[in-house]
Amino acid sequence: MSSLREKVENFLYKEARLMDENRYMEWFELLADPCLYWLPANEEDYDTNKHASLFYGDRNTINNHVIRLTEGKAFAQEPRSRMRRVVSNIEIEDGGEEVSVHANFIINEIRKHEQRYHTGRTHYKLAPADGSFKIKYKKSVLVSLDEMQENLTFLV
Amino acid sequence: MAQGNGRAIDYDALVKPDAVHGDCYIDPDIFAEELKKIYGRGWVFIGHQSEIPNAGDYVRKWIGLQPVIFSRDKAGKYHVLFNRCTHRGASICQHDKGNVGGFRCEYHGWFYRLDGALQAIPYQEGYGDNFDRTQYNLRRPPRLDEYRGFVFASLSPSGIPLREHISGPAQRQIDYACDLSPEGELVVQSGATKLAYNGNWKLQMENSIDGYHPNFTHQSFISTLERLTGAKVEIFSGDAKTQSRDLGMGCSNIDSRRANIEHPHAQARLKMMQGTSWGKKYYDDLVAAHGKERAEEVLIVNGTHMNVFPNLVVLAGQVRTIQPISTERTEVYLRPSLLKGVPDEVNTQRIRQYESFYTAAGGGIHDDVEMFNRVHEGLRCNQDPWLVFRRGLHREQTDNDGTIFSQGTDETAQRGMWRHWKSVMQQDAN
Repeated sequence: MSSLREKVENFLYKEARLMDENRYMEWFELLADPCLYWLPANEEDYDTNKHASLFYGDRNTINNHVIRLTEGKAFAQEPRSRMRRVVSNIEIEDGGEEVSVHANFIINEIRKHEQRYHTGRTHYKLAPADGSFKIKYKKSVLVSLDEMQENLTFLV
Repeated sequence: MAQGNGRAIDYDALVKPDAVHGDCYIDPDIFAEELKKIYGRGWVFIGHQSEIPNAGDYVRKWIGLQPVIFSRDKAGKYHVLFNRCTHRGASICQHDKGNVGGFRCEYHGWFYRLDGALQAIPYQEGYGDNFDRTQYNLRRPPRLDEYRGFVFASLSPSGIPLREHISGPAQRQIDYACDLSPEGELVVQSGATKLAYNGNWKLQMENSIDGYHPNFTHQSFISTLERLTGAKVEIFSGDAKTQSRDLGMGCSNIDSRRANIEHPHAQARLKMMQGTSWGKKYYDDLVAAHGKERAEEVLIVNGTHMNVFPNLVVLAGQVRTIQPISTERTEVYLRPSLLKGVPDEVNTQRIRQYESFYTAAGGGIHDDVEMFNRVHEGLRCNQDPWLVFRRGLHREQTDNDGTIFSQGTDETAQRGMWRHWKSVMQQDAN
């Protein structure tokens, strides 16, 4: 029997790998139904109905997003970014039906010979499912949330 | 010929009726001259009044490369003040926005009121008995004016009034955006998308009113939209009823009035809008405020898609400011706007629509940015330095209001911008 921490780490590492490798449809399979994905802009917390976010959407909106990234000619990703991210500083709160996880990330991205770093902290609410998890809620707070943003046409 | 930095620049040779020379984007001398003649003289957009709703509110802005503070005093009046202590030149405001009782220069403690008046100097006796504090108030642009909450400043004490810079037809476009509110006001307090690209500021101005690019640059967004709705997106095609329009004074727009009003489903859209209780309330409130005819016109036209020369774009429920940095760099601030006095659902819908296209992770704006970077790269090739703006030149017409228009994918809007740019750049240096 693996511990809760091992299960959570395995899940986050898998998620990171799918995002790094642009495997958006497989990533989408990690989502619960319903679910919410939120990338705040400018500030860490606010009324999302009154303040615009870098991304804010339910399962349907996320689906449209990954379809565009996967199938469409999204020129901001032509050529594509090469990426690898490190997930660390994982803190877990076991709520039984729902596991609350906070984790830091550092994404190293190279596109058109320019290297960039995107760092931040993600809050997940995970639902246990088939020995692993599904993502009910994911909020990624970039350190650069109020800075000039270059293209983030991939998953954070 | 106009005098640049010691070098005469022949703008007639650089801007032709159907083409623009690449130097207009990449020559640092031309950029320096733009700062003097366009940003250092004419009307420049500062911000929207609603960004500083309360006494003590301030936001930092720029006029060209000069930092200013857009503040509201205790009496509710707004001010534009240079962010520079009149003593030894330190900037006095360090945060992008906030709420304060006044501005203290932290170098030697000089304290200014929200209206820029110098209120206190530490150890003032050191300046003698006849010291007049008022001569060291914060400096401000000589002219300030607004149209429907959009505040502009000019660094020249004389020149045409703002309401000539924004012509009647251009004012009516801004009206379309504001009149979507029953109170006639936009509220710009919903954050900002901040983006930067390698290239000249005019690339963003040209693109904002470019009706030719969406089907190509934004094909990933449009194909996803078509897949979701099951309907073909027709408004950007070569035979669409949209119009590329030169509003005069460098202002221009993609005009979809005719396309929306004559759309076979225009009336059905109005009905659909009233399909929810909040939609019905919004419709009723708008009719009560503007009368049925105007309310329905405003709803069907649905805002505007326009440029105000040199640095403001009003489109799709957002207020966009273009900030030149150098020939190599431009910053753009996109601020979603809400409508004052409407049901919350209407504004939430505006926010969600904005996010779908206009953020770093959204579906559209960064495909535009990618094109600006590509143009900037291409401009290094000088074998043929011309950018061609001839589309639709043969089919332009003059409208009853004096504006020039052509089919929506034509480059009439960009030609209008460049014609005005040339006339400003050809003014005397002093």
